[in-house]
Amino acid sequence: MAGPNGHIVNLGLWQENSMHLLVGLLTGSDATCRLQAVRCLHELSHSPHTSVASACLPASPYLLTYLSGQSTKFTELCLYTLGNLCPDSVVKEKLLAQGIVPALASCLENQRHNLAVVEAVGFTLSQLLQANNAAEKIIPMVLASSLPSHLLSVLTPDPKFGLGPAIECAWCIHYLTCSMKDHRVLLAQGALLQCSSLLVSLGGAVAEGNKEEGMELLICPLLRCVGNLLSSCPLTDLSAQMGDVRIVVALCALLQAFLHTQPALARESAWVLNNLTAHSRALCSALLTLNLVPGLIQLLPFSQGINTMILRVLANIAHNKKDFCVQLAHRGLLSALCATLKMADQEMVTLSMDVLFMLVVSSPQVAEEFVKQGGLSLLEATQYNSEGEIRQRATHLLEHHLLS
Amino acid sequence: MLQPDLVRLLTEGHVLVKSCDEDCLTGNTQEPRQSEGEEGEEGNPFNFTPQLIHLNKDHQLFEDGDIHRHMYLQDLYISEAEDKPTLSVSEFACHISGCSAIFSTLEEYEHHYNSLHRHVCCSCRRSLPSARLLDIHIQEWHDSLFTILSQRQDMYQCLVEGCGQKFSTSKHRKGHLIKIHKYPPDFRFDKTKKDKGNRQTKKQPQKDTTMDVVDDVCESEGVCEVMCDGLSHQPEQEESMETHGSEEEAARMAKSASTEEHADLNAAAPSTESSSSDPLEPRYSYRVPTNVCFGRGSVRGFRGRRGRRK
Repeated sequence: MAGPNGHIVNLGLWQENSMHLLVGLLTGSDATCRLQAVRCLHELSHSPHTSVASACLPASPYLLTYLSGQSTKFTELCLYTLGNLCPDSVVKEKLLAQGIVPALASCLENQRHNLAVVEAVGFTLSQLLQANNAAEKIIPMVLASSLPSHLLSVLTPDPKFGLGPAIECAWCIHYLTCSMKDHRVLLAQGALLQCSSLLVSLGGAVAEGNKEEGMELLICPLLRCVGNLLSSCPLTDLSAQMGDVRIVVALCALLQAFLHTQPALARESAWVLNNLTAHSRALCSALLTLNLVPGLIQLLPFSQGINTMILRVLANIAHNKKDFCVQLAHRGLLSALCATLKMADQEMVTLSMDVLFMLVVSSPQVAEEFVKQGGLSLLEATQYNSEGEIRQRATHLLEHHLLS
Repeated sequence: MLQPDLVRLLTEGHVLVKSCDEDCLTGNTQEPRQSEGEEGEEGNPFNFTPQLIHLNKDHQLFEDGDIHRHMYLQDLYISEAEDKPTLSVSEFACHISGCSAIFSTLEEYEHHYNSLHRHVCCSCRRSLPSARLLDIHIQEWHDSLFTILSQRQDMYQCLVEGCGQKFSTSKHRKGHLIKIHKYPPDFRFDKTKKDKGNRQTKKQPQKDTTMDVVDDVCESEGVCEVMCDGLSHQPEQEESMETHGSEEEAARMAKSASTEEHADLNAAAPSTESSSSDPLEPRYSYRVPTNVCFGRGSVRGFRGRRGRRK
């Protein structure tokens, strides 16, 4: 039978009747017809017309039921159809009531060796998790199910199949972490460890120049997961969750690799580096001893949020110990600050003053070096800045630490 | 191999697998500020503390990545996109209050600052090329004692440093500069509004371009004429190298080139560093028109065309 194509012009009675027909075929005894019917529905689900989604509602309980079936192609099509219909809020509410979350969970569990199906489950779940009120109902349901542990187990890409399933599952975990602030469930299941060690191996691949197509589609959600998971991970757990300081090396590699091709990804890497260094002295120390700081300083000219985030990282390092400050000064941070203090971006200027303060009070040698580099006249000029906060800082630094 | 050092660090895992135990052993989460002696200091405005930043789904930082994800789902994803986002470099801005000039390189900024904001006369707001010339200017223009003394003795110094000679009038000095120091005869001694001669000094030839530009601005904007008029009424002709009021000029340059940027700079609020949940408000615009929606808050959402491998 010829199914309707994606362009439905005249809905209404025709629609109701034809959907009735379609569902009949979907649930009929002829397997070939079932496959054709689900193909039709899949096509329909692509339609941009607003009423198509709700028109497909009668099929939804069947689509869900079939998720526990064994036919790969059929299951895939059901999943993608459901995934396409999810964003419609009426459909979403129905699907939730009809048990889409448990259905997805058991599908993933039973079919986890079938990577094509896994990819499809991941896609559908990611659509579901993007709902605006996901945090209220959907996410708690998902976290309570077996989905998180299975998602995590799929994260490592299969070299033969490709990146697809890992990509979908990574995005799911991203939607889980960014919508909530409490990540205990995910942390308990080793999400941070898994995501960060994967980033380490991906960082290595990128640094070697092995760029598989689509790698950044996997790197992006992983970065976000690590970044957001860190924001709630207690420091005492950090060593268990991270363990490996190579993560900072990987992030620096990603920063350099994507700086020119995808600055947004570089910016996200810098954000993760900020969250890593905010409270961990060990990781700050690693950046210094592994000689990664000069590379970071070289990024300070680049705008659109990259330099402010990098400066925060350097500030995090400086905040730790006087010893770190001296090391930072030796690696050229002082002269870099003499330039960043003149930038138009007020956030950069304020942060620069904060870092300068930490460096200058750390040791008299650093203060001397700053004066040698013409710092006094720079600060004197800054005393005429239009921003009160900046003027205050310049004056304070001059009066209490440089001229006294 | 793109980054051999980093590759080595990443692959020689056994050398570096050092856990973060150091943090636990020392047992501190937040070390008190190292400047302990100054903690109780009065009015210390520096308040940086490391912050954990959580970004929610719709944060602007995520926008580009979300676009890529969307294009991938629509089978439009190309790993090397033609429309490459360009990396941009921070601008420099003159921070002197009232001056809103913006520069794309540090050198331009330094040049601007050194030309216009250094050695400024407080009385008439003229900017002089050097401290010495500023001193001479103040002396000769704004010092009444000088005026009195110069009637009795030679007070007008030769402008060439190290010469040391003094003259009874500025005219004599001018003659001396031309005859002895070989200053060009068309050297700008007079500050008339029509005069567009080059104002070279042997000491700082590179300042020429700025001064000429400034002159042009003066001419075109007409404000300079007011000052020049005032000048021509001076009893003494001014022959030292001067540029007119720095702030006015800066304002004019800003007016012609960067009024909008100035407004933007002023409008953009300084960073909010209070909450850890969303302290970042990057002020850059993206390529996506505002009427395009990627499923955040919309009914339609992504319509993934997952038909690629079928």
